[in-house]
Amino acid sequence: MIDAPGPWGTGPFVLAEGYSSLDTEQAVVTHDPFSCTWLQRQDRTPRLTLRANPTYWDKLRGPRLREVVFRNDLSAQEALELVCTTEGEVDIVTEVPATAAAKVQHGEHARLVAVNPVRALAGVINRDAEGLPLHDRRARQALNLAVDRAGLVRDVFGGHARPLAGLTPPTPLTAPHRAPDRLKPYPYDPPAARQLWRQAVNGPPRALRLATMADFEATAGRVADDLRTSLGLDVEVIVLRGDEQVQARRQLAEKLEPQTWDVLLLEQGSQAADTPPLELHRAFVGLTGEFRAGPVLAEFERLYADLVAQTAQAKQVIACNRIDRYVTQEALALFVCAPQVLYAVNRHVDFKPYATSFELVDTSVTPRHWSRR
Amino acid sequence: MLAAMAGHPRTAGAVTVVDPNPLNWLWITYHTVEELVRVTKQGKVRPAAMRRYRWIDDRTLQVRLRRDERFADGEPVTADSVKRAFDEQVRWVSPHPPGTHLNIDRRTRCSVSGPHTVRFHLPEPDGLVLGKLRATHVMSSRFWRDLGFGYARDESGEGHW
Repeated sequence: MIDAPGPWGTGPFVLAEGYSSLDTEQAVVTHDPFSCTWLQRQDRTPRLTLRANPTYWDKLRGPRLREVVFRNDLSAQEALELVCTTEGEVDIVTEVPATAAAKVQHGEHARLVAVNPVRALAGVINRDAEGLPLHDRRARQALNLAVDRAGLVRDVFGGHARPLAGLTPPTPLTAPHRAPDRLKPYPYDPPAARQLWRQAVNGPPRALRLATMADFEATAGRVADDLRTSLGLDVEVIVLRGDEQVQARRQLAEKLEPQTWDVLLLEQGSQAADTPPLELHRAFVGLTGEFRAGPVLAEFERLYADLVAQTAQAKQVIACNRIDRYVTQEALALFVCAPQVLYAVNRHVDFKPYATSFELVDTSVTPRHWSRR
Repeated sequence: MLAAMAGHPRTAGAVTVVDPNPLNWLWITYHTVEELVRVTKQGKVRPAAMRRYRWIDDRTLQVRLRRDERFADGEPVTADSVKRAFDEQVRWVSPHPPGTHLNIDRRTRCSVSGPHTVRFHLPEPDGLVLGKLRATHVMSSRFWRDLGFGYARDESGEGHW
């Protein structure tokens, strides 16, 4: 990350004012081999300015904007109000919640832009949980069969999500990863779920503790309702806010103490669609996985090592497919959905969204935009 | 700089952004810095600061740069710039905030085989290395001298790339 302005690189813009940095704390996942992740707290100046780099080599891409200002002094709610009702204050708001999509669509000055990202919203299943049979594949499959993904996508996300089959989010570029016999989401099948759950449970089970990062509280509520209805199970929802989220991530990464939940809902993305297991499947299941909650699985490690050994793209796709299929069949996570990323964008901004990042190199504004009048 | 840009037909106007995404630090990096690869709108890894690449064998990745590319301060981008970026990165046990999974094996050696050509010699095959190069930021000499990734701020590059 870049801690100060300066002409440091060859990117399409130059950092002219401010910075966007992090304070980080290490959380060690394994000592042999050494692996870790970093717990992050943001450190941004109230305002950050990018100016076009006139020497950027790829003129076909851009930059097409003279200047970009990031305002870090506004809350997301304030920004959403400004982009919808004013011009010249805020042009783009990222990460718009699905619940605010209609407000943007009806805004006087804004429009809604959606992109299917390489991100998965899934539940980490604590395979070490005491008092619940989550070490048993049947119980994990039961959880997956108990969730009505189509209803969740419709009612909680207003259609701005896709049901998840496995951990590879469905995008045009990940389609080959999921073929042949493309993986389908676990069906919503409460009788089958109940039957599997009963086979796995030995004695009266305790309540299931479903924890969630605060952004997905509504999703957790809906999933909890489905689990109660389908499995006849008591479900306690725990919403993690602020520093609780950092602590939960640390505890999960380090695996030194028992987790205080049985399923933890979180969202994880991949920086590219070429090999999603690097950042998704490995994180949830692998030896070095910062989200793994349970024993290391030799078969997963074998499949992952096979992916690493491939340098040909076609063979990588096949290896990714095998990993996703294994993780799905073993129900090594609660596969929920792949939410779209929504942007509120001023009507005179021609914004080009990216599936794995936020980049403005090829975004432009029309002559009617406030900055060009 | 602004006067020079005024002549560019596509560079016009300004936007104001509010980005609550906790990865904002990374988006700012991607806007101002290049890596050997970038990721397309659809999510595909493709060359960026490099012109092309080729696997010589399953442990040797050859990268060719464009000629005449320059950093924003005017310094030419050469094979030495890439080698410096790689060598700076492997000084640290865990330079990348997401974690060690983005590390390129620290036993890897980067050699300059021409003014605009480098080779990465891996100790064992790593088909994921191309994607991992997205986290290897190619920076100017001035950056390494004056700022670095956390060097000036924390006197360490751990967790700060």
